[in-house]
Amino acid sequence: MPGDEMTASNLSNSVQSPRENEAERRQRVSQRKRRNFMQSLLSHAAINIIGLFFLIPFLWMLITAFKSNADIFHTPPRWLPYDNVLVEVNGKQLPLYSVQTEAGMKQLAMVKIIEGVGKFVDPAYPDQVLTYEIQQGSTKIAEPMMHVSFRWQNFPDAMNRGSRPGIGASFWVYFKNSLVIAFFVIIGTLLSNAPVAYAFARIKFPGRDVLFVIVLATMMLPYQVTMIPLYLFFNNFLHWGDTFLPIIVPAFFANAYDVFLLRQFFRTIPEEMCDAARVDGASEWQIFTQLILPLSVPVLATVTVFTFLWAWNDFTGPLLFLTSPKNFTMALGLQDFQGQRTLVWNQLMAAATVFTVPIVIAFFFAQKTFIQGIKLTGSKE
Amino acid sequence: MKKVFGLFSVLMILSMLLSACGSKPAAPIVLKVWIQWGDNPQQIQALFDKYTAETGIKVEVTAPLETDKILPSLTGSEPPDVLVLSGGDLVKSYYKENLVEELSGAVKAGNIDLNDFFDAPLNQCKVGDKILCLPWGADMYALFWNKDLFEAAGLDPEVPPATMEQLAEFADKLTKVAADGTIEQIGFIPDQAWGHSDLYIQQFGGFWYNEDGTKVTTNSQAVVDAMTWQQQFYTKYGVDNVLAFSSGWADAYMSADYPFYTGKLGMYVDGEWMTGPNFISQFKPEASYGVAHFPPPADHPERANTAVVQGTVAVIPAGAKDKDASAKLLAWMMSPAIVAEEFCFNANLPTSKTAAKDPCFTENPKFKVFSDLMASPNAKFIVTTPISLEFNDGWTLVEEQVLHTGADPKPLLDQLQAEFEVKLADALK
Amino acid sequence: MDEVQTKSRKFSWTPKFKKWGFRDRTNFKIGMLFLLPWTVGFLVFTLYPMLASLVYSFSIYHSRAPLEWNGIKNYTDLLTDDMFWKSLSNTIYMVAIGVPLTLFSSFVCAVLLNLKVRGQSLYRVIYFLPSIVPTVASTILWLWILNPQQGILNTVLGYIGIDGPNWMTNPAWSKPGLILLGMWGMGSTIIIYLSGLQDVSVNLLEAAELDGANWWQRLWNITIPMVSPITLFNLITGVIGMFQYFAQAYIFRGFQGLGYPLNSTLFYSVNLYQNAFLFLKMGYASAMAWVLFIIILVCTLLLLKVSDRFTYYAG
Repeated sequence: MPGDEMTASNLSNSVQSPRENEAERRQRVSQRKRRNFMQSLLSHAAINIIGLFFLIPFLWMLITAFKSNADIFHTPPRWLPYDNVLVEVNGKQLPLYSVQTEAGMKQLAMVKIIEGVGKFVDPAYPDQVLTYEIQQGSTKIAEPMMHVSFRWQNFPDAMNRGSRPGIGASFWVYFKNSLVIAFFVIIGTLLSNAPVAYAFARIKFPGRDVLFVIVLATMMLPYQVTMIPLYLFFNNFLHWGDTFLPIIVPAFFANAYDVFLLRQFFRTIPEEMCDAARVDGASEWQIFTQLILPLSVPVLATVTVFTFLWAWNDFTGPLLFLTSPKNFTMALGLQDFQGQRTLVWNQLMAAATVFTVPIVIAFFFAQKTFIQGIKLTGSKE
Repeated sequence: MKKVFGLFSVLMILSMLLSACGSKPAAPIVLKVWIQWGDNPQQIQALFDKYTAETGIKVEVTAPLETDKILPSLTGSEPPDVLVLSGGDLVKSYYKENLVEELSGAVKAGNIDLNDFFDAPLNQCKVGDKILCLPWGADMYALFWNKDLFEAAGLDPEVPPATMEQLAEFADKLTKVAADGTIEQIGFIPDQAWGHSDLYIQQFGGFWYNEDGTKVTTNSQAVVDAMTWQQQFYTKYGVDNVLAFSSGWADAYMSADYPFYTGKLGMYVDGEWMTGPNFISQFKPEASYGVAHFPPPADHPERANTAVVQGTVAVIPAGAKDKDASAKLLAWMMSPAIVAEEFCFNANLPTSKTAAKDPCFTENPKFKVFSDLMASPNAKFIVTTPISLEFNDGWTLVEEQVLHTGADPKPLLDQLQAEFEVKLADALK
Repeated sequence: MDEVQTKSRKFSWTPKFKKWGFRDRTNFKIGMLFLLPWTVGFLVFTLYPMLASLVYSFSIYHSRAPLEWNGIKNYTDLLTDDMFWKSLSNTIYMVAIGVPLTLFSSFVCAVLLNLKVRGQSLYRVIYFLPSIVPTVASTILWLWILNPQQGILNTVLGYIGIDGPNWMTNPAWSKPGLILLGMWGMGSTIIIYLSGLQDVSVNLLEAAELDGANWWQRLWNITIPMVSPITLFNLITGVIGMFQYFAQAYIFRGFQGLGYPLNSTLFYSVNLYQNAFLFLKMGYASAMAWVLFIIILVCTLLLLKVSDRFTYYAG
């Protein structure tokens, strides 16, 4: 593979073939070294450039989250967040403007601007109010001064507000709702999928394979087919509209993906252990709870992490079933926020960052589990 | 085995109950009012608390509402008791599907004086003798212009264009294009923030339905002319350039960076709420702007002060639990005092003639422009039909194609005509 | 017992001709008890809705009136519906271009990440992290990045002299923008390929090298065939998933109508949602759902058939 210095070909090339002379051999070796160097350079460049593609949007989300309102729409976009320079005058923080006066450019604190006319105050002489027009025609007379500043205030501003002006429920409520839903979905998933997977893995009952094929077949069913009748069923028949129930309750009834994943794992537990336990008179339930489950903690951890990721991320379910803002999950709240004509991008990015943080934390704590789970689902079979 | 299974099922049921408890509000007699718009829901709730003070019935206001949630709320099993929609165009569609109540009975029972309503907003709610909704607040649109930019371009900042042709001329003077073709300032964008085709088509003397909503007329001359007139503002400077320049503007609608405030846009069409406390005064009090009625075409000066009234309307969902209670609440909402209070605050136009006498609607000279428009004989209402839902989508697509890609309007309008002619005939059967 | 098992190794049909022994009966009872959550769930949340939606697909749904039988008119109406064909072509665009492109790119990234470079594990984290950013957050972020004026994509393109297109208002560029969004989140596929690459026998590669194969030949003749099961699996799941593409498109249009701009982001699932929940044509939408199901089945079977020639399963 490119870049790998100690390949067999390198070694073999440094062995002299009897028909070459010394000069030709050295030329061949140096040619190879140059080619390796070029390959290495190219691959380093490629890795880095592609790495930037993955990294920069992430950083941009964070940078925008720290920008001030004045800075978001700056064209061209700046790579650092800027904010107004503030100066204290008579106990108040006022923005500093650079103003074209008769005596040249001066830095004045802006008190008020109404209908194109601004009242300014020289910080050194706070009692004298000067009046200037902000703009004459298309020349700007007074412009605010900006400096690099990280606006941490965006985060509480974002989380304390609702997704639309005046909505009572704040993003903290959405965050809590997401947590509640994720919690119950995880419980339901663990409780229901493990026994089902165990039955498919280790209980020899007639019809098992047929049923398993059916389980797998349901993976092929697009959710759109069941979506409409389920919507009508939950809303009109059970009257569970605008509650968490339509999202949480189905999690208690197993799903093909987790059954498949757990079954694969359970089958790696030696059959002899289960048989020995059966011979000793243990019931299937006892084998399941006392033998299999303790050994399955890693895969159950994987399922927990994946289920959390799925529930935290879920958008379509909340979209269909949650109608009043106080029941929104964070995913729905973010989309609601973004669907307005009043986009406050810095707050939106701040909320999105808060939305992403639990997942990133979970990832760093459960790095191995994550990767293990992905490999289990993706690589074999 | 059975013991463990029993425990298992108890656990499951417990979990479900716990989650159900946390999310379902349990309240005996509470009326729910859902409002599609709502810049200040606290104020609206405070308003409805007055009803509670008068009658002892609690009212829960939910505002604003996502558009997507309106239909599910009407068709679901828990609709609100009164629903206030941002526009009346879909009410006939809802009525066709039996989603809203016919209100003649409620009007009689609540002693609502239909003559007190302005004609234009009420007309969009009437089908023959049937009343499908009651207007609650109205919106109208007029021309806004940036006085600073006028001055810089050598135009008198106090004098708006008097005809549509003059508007195009002014727009030219107000547009600045750099040497490499990128736009730095643009004079007029016909669909900035919203499409206003309905306004422009009325200036040309027609609409996309006929007067009583029984025929589709999208390929009539007035419509074609209006679309051609709009198109020039995009095609003159390159459709892509204009789109690139104006992308993201709608995002900044409620911020100080709105291009109208930052000197990037010279003129555009917007509604009366801009002159109220929630918009320009809040985001850019230093803005120097003017408002006037949208000008008629030069050859039809009699169409001056033509404007389209769009109204928010209140309906009673067919699935509301207690229709009498809903009717009483509706009657209270329609009383002139309440109408005056709510729309004085929100800077919208009152739909009640009595309420319109309140000085708050005439003391702001910029807002008065809109009040005058509403009282003008040329004030038109939006014609609506049972297929308005789908038609609006089809119309928006055509508008986009004409304006944003520079496509020829005539064939597209012909196509639209053919498609919806049939659908309307079907729906009216 | 074991002999019976080995004889019918692939399937154990519920034996019609064989009487169930005592063992079978108890095992069956126990098995069914363990399976209870899945069985109930299957009946209530899968089978019932499938049958119901099949019935709906042949009817017109009225919310406050009984179901009205409509025969196959819903299906024939689909054939003449412009939006149906538009949404289908949009989705096929994503399936035919987006899925293979993403798969190919993740393979390339995996190859790069498999090289011995300094900071390899750091790079792996960087490549993987975006894939766990929640969908709503990443879509909104990319909306901001793709903004023609304030977005950094066009700014960065500007640095190298390219005049970036109007990603969100130009119908020709909205889907490529969505594909970029998808590629940003392909980290999990990269990891899968990476583990597959690491499983490729080092001995085999070295032997090939000694025989004089250069890195391209080794890649083409050994590595790619060895990871072909992964490719197949991800291709199939990718195709199935892409046919149901919904959330990103729903969010991408901001406050504009669904499918903005100009119906270029009106994917099959979005059109279905629109018909069901905005136009209230639930019967029609159910017909759409069944057509989607059939399309997915056919595509999957086709892929499996074709794949036999191209996949190699290491012994």
